[in-house]
Amino acid sequence: MLETTSLKKVFKKHLAVDDVSLYLDKGESVGLLGPNGAGKSTTISMISSLVKPTAGDVTWDGKSVVKQPGVIREYLGVVPQEIALYKELTAVENLKFFGRVYGLKGRALTERMESVLELVGLTERKNDLVKNYSGGMQRRINIAVALLHEPEIIIMDEPTVGIDPQSRNYILEMVQKLNREKGMTVLYTSHYMEEVERLCDRIYIMDHGKVIATGTKQELTSILSSEETIVLELDRPYPELKSELADLEEVHRVVETEKGMKLITPKNSKLLSKVFQVAERHQAQIVSVNVQIPTLEDVFLHLTGRKLRD
Amino acid sequence: MRSVFLLQLQRLRREPALVIWMMVMTVGFIFMLGGLGSASTIDVPLYFDASMDEEEQDVLLYQLNESDAFSFSLIEEQDAEKRVALGEIPYAIHATAENYEMLIAADDANHVFIDQYVRQVYVDELRLQQVEQSTEDPRIREEIDQNLSDVPLRLASETVDGEEQGGGIDQRNQALFGMTLFFSIYTIIQSLSKVAEEKRTGTWNRMILSPVRKWQVYLGHLCYAFLIGFLQIVIIFAGFKYLFGYGVGDSFGSIVLAVACYTFAIVALGMLMLGLVKTLEQLNAVVPIVAVSMAMIGGAYWPIELVSNSIILAISKVLPITYAMEALKQIASNNHDFTALAQPLSILLLFGVVCMGIGINLMERKM
Ligand SMILES: Nc1ncnc2c1ncn2[C@@H]1O[C@H](COP(=O)(O)OP(=O)(O)O)[C@@H](O)[C@H]1O
Ligand SMILES: [Mg+2]
Repeated sequence: MLETTSLKKVFKKHLAVDDVSLYLDKGESVGLLGPNGAGKSTTISMISSLVKPTAGDVTWDGKSVVKQPGVIREYLGVVPQEIALYKELTAVENLKFFGRVYGLKGRALTERMESVLELVGLTERKNDLVKNYSGGMQRRINIAVALLHEPEIIIMDEPTVGIDPQSRNYILEMVQKLNREKGMTVLYTSHYMEEVERLCDRIYIMDHGKVIATGTKQELTSILSSEETIVLELDRPYPELKSELADLEEVHRVVETEKGMKLITPKNSKLLSKVFQVAERHQAQIVSVNVQIPTLEDVFLHLTGRKLRD
Repeated sequence: MRSVFLLQLQRLRREPALVIWMMVMTVGFIFMLGGLGSASTIDVPLYFDASMDEEEQDVLLYQLNESDAFSFSLIEEQDAEKRVALGEIPYAIHATAENYEMLIAADDANHVFIDQYVRQVYVDELRLQQVEQSTEDPRIREEIDQNLSDVPLRLASETVDGEEQGGGIDQRNQALFGMTLFFSIYTIIQSLSKVAEEKRTGTWNRMILSPVRKWQVYLGHLCYAFLIGFLQIVIIFAGFKYLFGYGVGDSFGSIVLAVACYTFAIVALGMLMLGLVKTLEQLNAVVPIVAVSMAMIGGAYWPIELVSNSIILAISKVLPITYAMEALKQIASNNHDFTALAQPLSILLLFGVVCMGIGINLMERKM
């Protein structure tokens, strides 16, 4: 239904998106996972016809969005990364305005407004000024506006950044409901691996403007099927430990975490005793050791040598 | 387009502080520079020299008070000297039969006009006396008075050279026109900067993704900025004309027309500036520079007639505010020569069209 072929965007010599090809089938929920600056928003802007690609094409049902932006716009709902609302107005006033802009009026408009307010759970607070909303509520109304004209596909750009866990959970459940119950196609962008893992059938992992891996969650984690993750919890940070651990032959990747170190190693390697030796040499106290099955986070670490969130 | 326009009004209703503040500033500055009260009541305290007899005093007081612009009232000599010295009153006049003195406390803008006017009264009186003596016709004074009060003659003397008779009318209009046009630049560009703000917050993209056309969105914003600026200027002009008796001319319709042309030119200038700057912060930094230098060079702060520097005069020829001031002053002088008005107004429109074209183009190229 939606496809991009070798999308590329250069901003004044800075390569923001490089050769991105992805597709979405009807009713699918697809995730775009990547750290800040990976090029997710730029990709989305090109898909939604707001930014012209430097090269490549976007097609909707086979028709080029680049040549004719009109072909996708009426089927598309976009939830921008920022709160794109008039904060000095109420939720209802915002909805009314954007509804009118989409040609809704009278009863139809009222009904659609009630329906999306219900969906995002803001019916009771609908006459409050948006600037008096909590961060989570602002995010929710930001989504509601994008759903007013009943789009077939919704593209969400990091819709849960900087909000409390409850609001986040609410939004995730809502997206799931839209996708599973209403059959809406979803392109969900995030730098939170858990969100994408939970919501999406398929995932594209982006870094430095490129798609570096793609597949279902199982397919992606199977990249690391022959590996395992060792999580060391230390009593305090030991920065000097990292390079020494990385020099160990069996260690593929090392990264510092909040409480210690994380290593990606081949399965069943006889590594632990060497790790203990290194720790002892630095007089580091190991609080606990955990051997885990790799997650998407680890896949990203494996592919790039960096954590998803820095 | 209508929705975009109405939305901006709705937003203004929620946050009107800035526009109101600009109007308050305008009114404040006009009063400060143009003086309080209506044009007929610049109060001038006056005392007579002991050498004058009562009849002479009455005649002189009557003659002085013939002007609508000033009101001369008697004060005791000691009182006058003391209060001027203390700065309680700005000036006082010490009149003798053939001459007068002016006591001045501090620099008060009005004293020049008072001085000019009083001198004129004395000169006229001396001339009349000379004529009387030379002709020895006792009715000559009445005849001349009669002639002077003839409508065409008085009209001519008021309009062609307002300073002599009206006293301060020019300065008041200078303040009224100059300050109003100056502050309206802020209001207009501030209103227009909602375009940049929407582009930043993302509401602009939301509209672009909707079936509404981009030019409709632009037009909604342009109409809004135009309306706000236009209303601000017209309300202030109307207020000062009808409430405070400022002499802005008989044809308020012409004023409205001139204001419309000027507002259009400034809206267009705003679009050009929006196209040139990269961020809203830059715009906010540039607006005062542009507004102030334009007002200085274009004769909004002081009359352009006072400027002799040829470079400044040359620059003033490309500034919309110069032409707006010119047109408004012409209307205020009741000069109904249409071609004389048409020239500055058509320059304003031309300026507007050019700036608008370049501005929108620049803005679209940034996408
Ligand atoms: N309008 C722009 N002009 C210049 N550089 C840009 C612009 N938009 C994004 N970039 C750059 O492109 C890269 C990708 O940005 P973005 O798509 O926003 O990433 P993400 O959404 O994944 O965080 C970043 O390095 C960013 O600085
Ligand atoms: Mg982004």
